[in-house]
Amino acid sequence: MARPAFLKDWFRIRRELPQGRRVALTAVSFLLPLALWCVVSYVPWIWHPDVKIELSAEREGVTTVFTAGDHVSREFFPEFVEAVRTENKAVLAARAAGTPESGARRKNQKLLRQLAPVAVGHGWLGHDDAQNDAVLYHLWRDLATGTKTATKPALSEENLGIIRQNWAQLSAVSSDFSFRKLPDEPLLKIVPQGKPANPVYLPAPHEVVRAGMRDFRAEVPEGELTMGDRYRKSLRVIFLGFLWACVIGIPIGILCGVFDFFSKLFEPFVDFFRYMPAPTFSTLLVAVLLAGDAPKVALVFIGTVFQMILVVSKTTRLLDPSLLEAAQTLGAKPRQMITKVVIPGILPNLYNDLRILLGWAWTWLVIAELIGVKSGLTEFIETQGRFRNFDRVFPVIILIGVTGFVMDQFLSWLHGLLFPWAGNAGSFSRGIARCVTWPFRTAAAGIQARLSAAEASRVASARQESP
Amino acid sequence: MSTLELPGYRDQSPEVAARFERLRQRPVALEVRGLTKRFETPRGVVTALDDVSFQVHKRELMCVIGPSGCGKSTLVRILAGLETPSSGEVRVYGEPVSGPGSDRGMVFQGYTLFPWLSVKENVMFGPRMAGKSAFSAEREAREWIDLVGLSKFENAYPHQLSGGMKQRVAIARALANQPRVLFMDEPFGALDAQTRCKMQSYLLDIWKNVDITIVFITHDLDEAVFLSDRILVLDANPGRVHEVVEVPVPRPRSEAQLFDPTFMATRKHIDGIMHPPGSGQKETPVMRLAVSDPDVV
Repeated sequence: MARPAFLKDWFRIRRELPQGRRVALTAVSFLLPLALWCVVSYVPWIWHPDVKIELSAEREGVTTVFTAGDHVSREFFPEFVEAVRTENKAVLAARAAGTPESGARRKNQKLLRQLAPVAVGHGWLGHDDAQNDAVLYHLWRDLATGTKTATKPALSEENLGIIRQNWAQLSAVSSDFSFRKLPDEPLLKIVPQGKPANPVYLPAPHEVVRAGMRDFRAEVPEGELTMGDRYRKSLRVIFLGFLWACVIGIPIGILCGVFDFFSKLFEPFVDFFRYMPAPTFSTLLVAVLLAGDAPKVALVFIGTVFQMILVVSKTTRLLDPSLLEAAQTLGAKPRQMITKVVIPGILPNLYNDLRILLGWAWTWLVIAELIGVKSGLTEFIETQGRFRNFDRVFPVIILIGVTGFVMDQFLSWLHGLLFPWAGNAGSFSRGIARCVTWPFRTAAAGIQARLSAAEASRVASARQESP
Repeated sequence: MSTLELPGYRDQSPEVAARFERLRQRPVALEVRGLTKRFETPRGVVTALDDVSFQVHKRELMCVIGPSGCGKSTLVRILAGLETPSSGEVRVYGEPVSGPGSDRGMVFQGYTLFPWLSVKENVMFGPRMAGKSAFSAEREAREWIDLVGLSKFENAYPHQLSGGMKQRVAIARALANQPRVLFMDEPFGALDAQTRCKMQSYLLDIWKNVDITIVFITHDLDEAVFLSDRILVLDANPGRVHEVVEVPVPRPRSEAQLFDPTFMATRKHIDGIMHPPGSGQKETPVMRLAVSDPDVV
């Protein structure tokens, strides 16, 4: 039985796919999670365990008040609606029996404001002006007479009926708002309306994009930080911490890899120290280095440097010892063996180690920014997370991810340039690196073209002068 | 099998005999006296080399051959100073050896070129270590690269070269240091048969033009006979000198001499030492064919 051609083309044991297919799959690997997110967000019958309230109502004798925008569980919402309907029925029954309640003027004023979300949604009222009763009063009129139609949110037939019934009572007394002229007996409440929604911690893609655009572009008052400032601050902390770790860690690591003396002197303690989680030193660091960036840089440093010593010494030890023997037979002295053989020999692997450790440093950064005075991108995430504004949190998390990823791919591309003799990175990495580094490569090619053009013109002019 | 009557391997033609006489007159380049090497292993002390003594004369090419495990590589590593002997001593032109030095060059089986340096920079390595200026080191390197015929590749990196070319670079690199003795540890062992033959001729060409004493480790009988003036045959477990064979094949050598009676006699003699008759070499089992194939039988 022959395998179908499709299987033969795409699934081959331990064979690389052609370039085109590799690129396609790389794109799909990013699109797939995005598509999943879109499906969960936009297809209403998938998941959506909550109801997002669009029109709310206050209930008699219940202190919990939901306002428009709140989430309630899908199970509870019908209960909520039913309770309001029951209250309306009671009002109607009392009215029919001729014994309506009195003294409900204050309640009726609140009831009129039930339409505020509609007015704000359409821009008929500003956010800050949502309780402008005079305008809302006319909105009741317009909706009842059909001069205006609400679409954000659209009103149910039931609610339109209630609006008309209430307006009949209101208009009988006054055509303009006046607290004194509000009916004394209770009006009917608008029945809550809502739509299926995902929990607040999973905002839809468009909400995240919108919030991200708003936050990244936002002008802030003097003395506060823009997102760009926060980003720069975070980058500064991570690079300083990482730089210090390199300055201390690499030489010690190389010494440990070369001389058993240093290996036995440093590595046991380093090995022990790295098991003490860096964040546990946070209070100590703040006490010693005080507020500001210093303890944060120190935390990134502590988190990185011990791993670095061990990784670098291991990389150094992995250098082919026969290269050292060859150098010895060529007359290299110990110092020359380190500077001319060990260091150039381990450089490509060392570079890759640092790339991986830089990824680790990002993890420490997030923790570092939470200690002492919170700062940088993490402070924003922390603050907005507390207010449950997850649509504003996600763009920042994605920003950190993209920064790390782009940096890593850029460095991986640079590896090929710096160490052409060390073989290439994996093909996957190469594909992405090509995309990520496209602007850099274009710029480099441009500069090169300009240089060679200048060179050519110089040669040409020299030729003209010579005869 | 062969009914061909071979002359004795000791039967030297007068020219060859005269040549060996002249060789013995030359100063001793390398003297090994009572060399013993023991390794401590968990299963007890293993003697790799036991009281090995021999001399190599100036501008001689001596091969060291022996069955695997006879300590050939240990011997050459001690000679190069990469390992220390348990007892005995090594002298180069009368000076005792302690540790590696640029007076003894080494070519390894695994090439050991520095992958981050170009061919030229690899060859320049030794002179640069000796403190020569980049300019003069480069000029010297060019000469040596030219000698091994790789001028076109002087800016290539090792990973761009074939195995044979890498080994030529390694030879040039070792020679650029102008050592007094060159050790070669199965340098052509990793090459395919054809390249190996070519490299052997190359080596003889180079040796003809350079004033150098070579000690060449191999386990390939033809290679040893083809290259050497004399062959040091080692026994295994522990490594001892069995015999130093003077190769009666006249120089200059060429591939046509592979069927020279003197060549075959020497080869047969050493083969007899390394694989004595009845030494327990079992007959290779042959897979029985289920169907007899008339074309094969």
